Amino acid sequence: MESAHIKTHLHSLGMYVLKILVALIMFMPIIWILTGGFKTLTEFTTTANLFPAHPTTENYQYIFEHSNIWRYMANTFFLMFGATIGTLLSSALVAYPLARMDFTGKKVIFSIIVATMLIPNIALIIPQYIMFGKIGWLDSLLPMIVPAWFAYPYNVFLFRQFFRSIPKELDEAAIIDGCTRPQVFFKVIMPISKPTIVTIGILSCVFWWNELTQPVFYINSDKWRTMTIALMTSFMYTSGNAFVINWASIMAASTFMLVPPMLLYIFGSKYLVGGIKTTGLK
Amino acid sequence: MRRKNQDNKVAYAFILPWIIGFLCFTLFPIIFMVQQSLTNRKLNGVSKFIGLTNYKNMFRSSVFWNSLRVTIFFTIVMVVVTTIWAIIMALLLNSKQRFNGIFQFCYFLPSVVPTVALAYAFRTIFGKNAGLLNNILSMFAGRNIEVNWLYQQNTIYFVVFFITLFTYSTGQMMLIFRSGLSDVPKELYEASNLDGATFIQKFFHITLPMISPLILFNAVSGCVSALNGSFALLYPLTSENGDPNGSTQVLSLLIYKEAFSNMKVGYACALSVILFLVAAVFGGLIFAISKKTVYYED
Repeated sequence: MESAHIKTHLHSLGMYVLKILVALIMFMPIIWILTGGFKTLTEFTTTANLFPAHPTTENYQYIFEHSNIWRYMANTFFLMFGATIGTLLSSALVAYPLARMDFTGKKVIFSIIVATMLIPNIALIIPQYIMFGKIGWLDSLLPMIVPAWFAYPYNVFLFRQFFRSIPKELDEAAIIDGCTRPQVFFKVIMPISKPTIVTIGILSCVFWWNELTQPVFYINSDKWRTMTIALMTSFMYTSGNAFVINWASIMAASTFMLVPPMLLYIFGSKYLVGGIKTTGLK
Repeated sequence: MRRKNQDNKVAYAFILPWIIGFLCFTLFPIIFMVQQSLTNRKLNGVSKFIGLTNYKNMFRSSVFWNSLRVTIFFTIVMVVVTTIWAIIMALLLNSKQRFNGIFQFCYFLPSVVPTVALAYAFRTIFGKNAGLLNNILSMFAGRNIEVNWLYQQNTIYFVVFFITLFTYSTGQMMLIFRSGLSDVPKELYEASNLDGATFIQKFFHITLPMISPLILFNAVSGCVSALNGSFALLYPLTSENGDPNGSTQVLSLLIYKEAFSNMKVGYACALSVILFLVAAVFGGLIFAISKKTVYYED
């Protein structure tokens, strides 16, 4: 009896050790970024101290003085909200009949949506680049925001999964009461879908906040730069013949970029875990 | 009958945004891509029909074959590595103990960090002179270790796949596995405990079959994110050339390089067609495999 007791204790201790080890590995790059922003460039490029020997705020001054960081932030927020609001509204609209109505061609449409989920966006980015060039949208945020208003297959799929879990009697009762389908959607379905809307909204915000690929293809000028491109291009300079990357400033700017997704996670973790359950991804 | 007609109209009104989006941003680009791949279109828009020349050049180019190989290798290994790591983290979090909320925060947070920030952090962590890893290794070895992780063919893959553990796709997989694991009926484990099953036996005979539909879903979405996300990870890490020596030059990097550095947009379209087909083959393969192995509860 006693030895079994010790065994469970050892087992639970072992689990803690493993958990802490994995946590250290996973959190290490974040600590590296956070502390790196407070090191001098010399310290950053010559030592691997985890904590700065002489903490400095010069990198934060540098990124505000040497780049239009406020503009990049504003652009990124604009892109994030523009695309997220669009995809939430349009994807939910499209998912509604797929989950809760009978109509001709439903199976075909749903199959196409699932199939397009498998197309990596990057495979179509060159033809889209030519296309957006022809209508004069290059070097703006339009090639990223406008398509979001026409429903993303992945988000349609998530909304559909959730809508299917709502009892059908709800719609029928509302229709008998004289509601039209759009009224059912906006007044009955959307209000009870809040957890799913928050989940997909957070996922979309994080995606657009972090998106590098599309801005790299579509954006040229400083005016429409997002934070991700700024990180790649704004903190390097030439000194004589040498090409200097201001690593410490990149870490400081990365720290700024970390904050919004981190807040979103803290605010939404309850929804994220629950949302994955209800959307029945499993 | 009239009711059904009415319903059809309403349903299609709801679906209209997707129909427009599908036609304009998916179907048209696919057709346009195939058509443009038959031209010698330049970045400045000048183009002429040249038939299959792009494809002939492509199949003769060792850079292309290398890139195709790297893409397939990268996708398969990334899906396997990230899925296994996500299952490990989910299993750890699934054992009910205190501070699980904090652990989950630590495990998931890296996945919401911008890939470009991660790439830069790891470029310095794996740096030769002031890199964190070399320093830790030197500390343990008691002598100065200076491995050039990022510029050696035999270490770069270790670096790249290690970084994929921190990407968004891994975090999402972990959350999905976690919610799946908590749904495995407790009675199954209790029964097997009575039979004296070991941890490993329980894992392979209960846990794995019960979460196999999740593994399928994660493998599919992992494939798409590997093909899609590789650009955002590798472009800031190893540049469009896929250093060292093209050993990390996946197709998306090559497409970017051909279109914007070499200004050969028509050729980049031909490469895109191939990438599109690679994605289709991966999707088909996973579904074919899953039909045989995935266990669905009725």
